Amino acid sequence: MKRNVILRINNEEYTVLTKTNRTLLEVLREDLHLTGTKEGCGEGVCGSCTVLLDGRPVRSCLLLVTEAEGREIKTIEGLAKEGRLDPIQEAFIEHHAIQCGFCSPGMILTGYALLKENPRATEEEIRFAISGNICRCTGYVKIVEAIRSLSTSEGRR
Amino acid sequence: MVDYALIGKGIRRVDTTAKATGEALFSADLKLPRMLVGKILRSPYAHARIVHIDTSKAERLPGVKAVITGKDVPDERWGVFRYTQDQRFLPVDKVRYVGEEVAAVAAVDEDTAIEALKLIDVEYEELPAVFDIESALKPDAPLIHDAYPGNINISVDINVGDVEKGFLESFYIREDAFEAPEDSYFQGEPYAVVAHFDSSGNLEIWMPNAGPHLKAKPLSNVLKIPLNKVRVRKITIGGAFGGRSEISPADVICAFLAKKSARPVKIVYSREENSIATRQAHSMKATIKTGVDREGRVLARDITCYMDGGAYSSTGPIAVSVPFLCMEQAYRMDNVRYRGYRIFTNKPIRGMFRVHGRAFACGIDLQLDLIGKELGFDPLEMRLKNARRPGDYTPTKSKVVSCGMVEAIERAAEKARWREKWDRLPPYHGIGIGCNSVQTGFPMGIRGGSQAFIKFNEDGGVTVITGIVDNGQGNDNMIVQIAAEELGLKVEDIQLINADTEVTPSDPGSYSMCETFVGGNAVRLAAQDAKRKLLKIASEAMKVEPERLAMRDRKIYVIDRPQEAISISRVVRMALSRRENISGEGSYWPKVDSNREWVTNPFGQLSETFSFGAVIAEVKIDPETGKVDVLEVTAAQDVGYAINPKVIEGQFEGGVAMGGQGGMLSEKVLWYGGRVLNPDQLDYMVPIAPGMPKINDIIVETNDPGGPYGAKEAGMSVAMSAAQAYASAICNALGVYIHEFPLTPDKILKAIKEKEEGKNR
Repeated sequence: MKRNVILRINNEEYTVLTKTNRTLLEVLREDLHLTGTKEGCGEGVCGSCTVLLDGRPVRSCLLLVTEAEGREIKTIEGLAKEGRLDPIQEAFIEHHAIQCGFCSPGMILTGYALLKENPRATEEEIRFAISGNICRCTGYVKIVEAIRSLSTSEGRR
Repeated sequence: MVDYALIGKGIRRVDTTAKATGEALFSADLKLPRMLVGKILRSPYAHARIVHIDTSKAERLPGVKAVITGKDVPDERWGVFRYTQDQRFLPVDKVRYVGEEVAAVAAVDEDTAIEALKLIDVEYEELPAVFDIESALKPDAPLIHDAYPGNINISVDINVGDVEKGFLESFYIREDAFEAPEDSYFQGEPYAVVAHFDSSGNLEIWMPNAGPHLKAKPLSNVLKIPLNKVRVRKITIGGAFGGRSEISPADVICAFLAKKSARPVKIVYSREENSIATRQAHSMKATIKTGVDREGRVLARDITCYMDGGAYSSTGPIAVSVPFLCMEQAYRMDNVRYRGYRIFTNKPIRGMFRVHGRAFACGIDLQLDLIGKELGFDPLEMRLKNARRPGDYTPTKSKVVSCGMVEAIERAAEKARWREKWDRLPPYHGIGIGCNSVQTGFPMGIRGGSQAFIKFNEDGGVTVITGIVDNGQGNDNMIVQIAAEELGLKVEDIQLINADTEVTPSDPGSYSMCETFVGGNAVRLAAQDAKRKLLKIASEAMKVEPERLAMRDRKIYVIDRPQEAISISRVVRMALSRRENISGEGSYWPKVDSNREWVTNPFGQLSETFSFGAVIAEVKIDPETGKVDVLEVTAAQDVGYAINPKVIEGQFEGGVAMGGQGGMLSEKVLWYGGRVLNPDQLDYMVPIAPGMPKINDIIVETNDPGGPYGAKEAGMSVAMSAAQAYASAICNALGVYIHEFPLTPDKILKAIKEKEEGKNR
């Protein structure tokens, strides 16, 4: 069954005529061309498809598109403002926290959400927060450094 | 020390802004007008004859635009060497593993494509199958390929010096066997291909690749079209680790579907398909006999190694050789025999992995620990006594020009405070070391060289054209950093066209760890060529000899009078007004022995240079649970010269995660017959952020005379030596030497139990 689904993504409203059994990930990527959100496993393990739903990180591959109606969705494309990168994006670039880049959108959004909720996040809290985002390239060292550089906790590098 | 503007600095990578914003497109992100969805039907049997395939029902399903089987694809077989070409991209006679491609469809959407797959009737006649090396070698074992009697795919036999005499002269000899099951790549990005033919018969194709030219040639062969009609395009690539270097049946299938449907087609692999139908790494059994003198120096080694190669040859001859070659480079061994066998089984195809040969390498190192224990030398002393030194020749006759092995070991030991900790750690704490050496490029025949072009615009901006590909390790940035340095420009002045077979010249690919050395040298030479032309013109204008001029900050200036300067853009315009263009060309062919062949002649210069490294790991084991807590890892590697130290650190840290944390603590493929039970990240257990140790990076620089700025391999060695160091540390903590990897809690608990029982007896 198809119907119009109204989505609020990155502060803009989209009306999508779609089957209701599709995931938010599919609609973002295929209908709205927001391909910054990646599909790494399609079963909620790798975290590459992470988007923010009302500010909290969720796996868009496990979320039916209808469940996202009426919520505030933020994807990686919505992080930079007026051509300026968000500080977390700058930190990831500056700290070499990005190698192949496939996990980066999900990783960056997870870090962004953590710091909004807990601006003083410690290294341990950061590692816990990104434990559901798998990176095969970096060994996580520079990702943790990048997020930590924006945390106001004591002892950050 | 040369005062470089950009080289040696950890500048931001040029590719990462697009990756941080979601702008970077990976293959699966592409969308072309009227594009179809391609899906592949895979074999449910490990070994079966294909009796008949009926696609008529699938073809009649509305929305299906093309269906293909083996009959639609010419009989071109894949294998890296002429003598190993044994894999049809779509088989016609039989299937040899669960997951092998059998047929494919292109349809208007995914649901229709999946529905169409269900409508293809395949009649199979199941054959007996073999799933491990022993069964495959039995005299009555089913034959997987008629051309390979006994299921022996590749045999490598290397015999150097006098091994028997070496053993006779040895003070102490021991033999151990080590084994490890299959491991897997788990690149972030699942495999994906987009293919499109235009009306002139040109193929445009995008896919993750470790060398666009390595993809283009087999595509040209099977499609029967010339190379200049195969346009493998540049695309962002989500990791390779050795698993993206070969042509994939998906590439060929996607191209044939696009041809037949006359529409663009996209195939995106599921995570499961990526785990089963791209490549896996070999399982391995290595028997190592080593003889040493009183001082612990190795006098003789006899090694036999069996590898499970899965169903097809793939990179077989290279895969059999590399574990041995890494170790013959890392350690001195004058008298050595190596017998390596790659055996066919009815399992997915195995390729070269960044932690290739963990049973072999960990075996060599653990055995050194065991020998040292008998003779009263600690593992560090054993490594130093046997370490490769500069100026040496390897047993298979490669000269080792630059070599920082001893420095890497010493600096790692100092940072890890080895000498304070060895033998003084509390119970169930351990420290261990692993050493490795990796090639910087293989002999690759006509594909072994790289060429680059530089184009100058009149405003002083530059475009660099090269075949170098970036799999995520930072090669794009490496190209730009080199070109900007040589030409005295800013990073933002350089535009890059690379990894596109329509435009860019041939290159060996990001394969055999050679892109910086071979491709980087070509870029540097191209830039120097353009620079020479600019300096000639500037020299005439400034009335100063070209040797007294240099380029920096977008200017050409007199070296001893820097205030006398002229902008590069002005010199380019001067050239143009003289009707001269400023461009550069450079090519580099590594100095390797082109007569060296993996099986028939495994002697001669293998690689122009080699990397050397040591990793030290410190661990704590919970004897109740068998869980290993890795406290600290120190990774030291001779990378020649760090063109971008931040990039190198990232390689080391990723190597520790993949080879040590994953490769030694958890990663292994689980089986039920020929079926993979854990094709997903959750059950395969790749490392996650919590639990990763503190990592110390030590960059050792020996300034290789052939490398660009002295650089050589930097991406693979730490992954391997980390696996070795973890194994050594865990066994040290246990006081028991386990011969089966990875060292999962079940094995650790068993070892503890056996040790306790031994004590009580």
